[in-house]
Amino acid sequence: MMTPEPAHGAIGLDPQACTSCMLCVRECPTWCIELGSHTEEVSDPGARRPRTVNVLDSFAIDYGLCMYCGICIEVCPFDALAWSPDAADPTADPGGLVLGIDQLRGWFATPSDS
Amino acid sequence: MTAVGAGAPPGPGAAIPEVPASAWEQALRELSEAGFDCLDFLTAVDRGHCRQVIARIRRSADWQAAMVSTQVAAAAPVLASATGVFPGASWHERETAEMFGIEFEGLADSRPLLLRAQPAKPPLLRGEFLPARVARPWPGAAEPEVGADGRRAGNPSRRRQRPLGVPDEPAQGRP
Ligand code: SF4
Ligand code: SF4
Repeated sequence: MMTPEPAHGAIGLDPQACTSCMLCVRECPTWCIELGSHTEEVSDPGARRPRTVNVLDSFAIDYGLCMYCGICIEVCPFDALAWSPDAADPTADPGGLVLGIDQLRGWFATPSDS
Repeated sequence: MTAVGAGAPPGPGAAIPEVPASAWEQALRELSEAGFDCLDFLTAVDRGHCRQVIARIRRSADWQAAMVSTQVAAAAPVLASATGVFPGASWHERETAEMFGIEFEGLADSRPLLLRAQPAKPPLLRGEFLPARVARPWPGAAEPEVGADGRRAGNPSRRRQRPLGVPDEPAQGRP
């Protein structure tokens, strides 16, 4: 049987685009996204005062809880999240479905067309 | 009856065609006869005065999707089972029965599905608090460099965010 398109297999993250704004974490109905970040001061040449920017330290989705609703992708103002046709591998390890930046970044490289 | 939602897949926010509860099974049968042969899901939404039951059915020939809904009164949430048309509805109806307290007439398998013990009230009705929401810390409370007082560094007027639908006082969430 053909897989229905578009394939919503997993969610990919572009850590470069993510501003740690926390919108996806707060809107996720199952509370399955955890994000860690800190702020840093950046001095722009010519600017009077340094800017404060958020720096992303960690980002994980628990695919044991995720219900693939896509709300996180919808709310992200920076298009840092996207569907991937790939899916999280099954695991017998409790907590093995909590996947961090390394895994999610790989999925961002192969977004599905929707 | 006109084909319910046949054609364009209903996008987010699109109104879902509705039939009276008495015509539910017939509506599903007509969809099935129109080639919508694959039940995608069946679930419910608590609308307060009523519970809305929603089914999404796909046509395996081209994967077009159709949706149809009906309403049952909150006081007497009873609906004909879809299993006569789509045997696979059994799983969804067992889940909908235990989560939303809807009785499906003609559903042969009434074993509990996801809950080990049926709570006094179905857990997905809006008036119910989910104990896990009270017990577990909300990941959305995290802020970059939040001080011990719960206020954000550099912006002391900003209060700590609260999750939606969770009472401020944990005790309120306990039945
Ligand atoms: S798809 Fe839904 S459940 Fe999964 S991480 Fe995104 S918002 Fe949460
Ligand atoms: S909504 Fe987007 S930018 Fe904001 S924290 Fe989530 S992924 Fe990052």
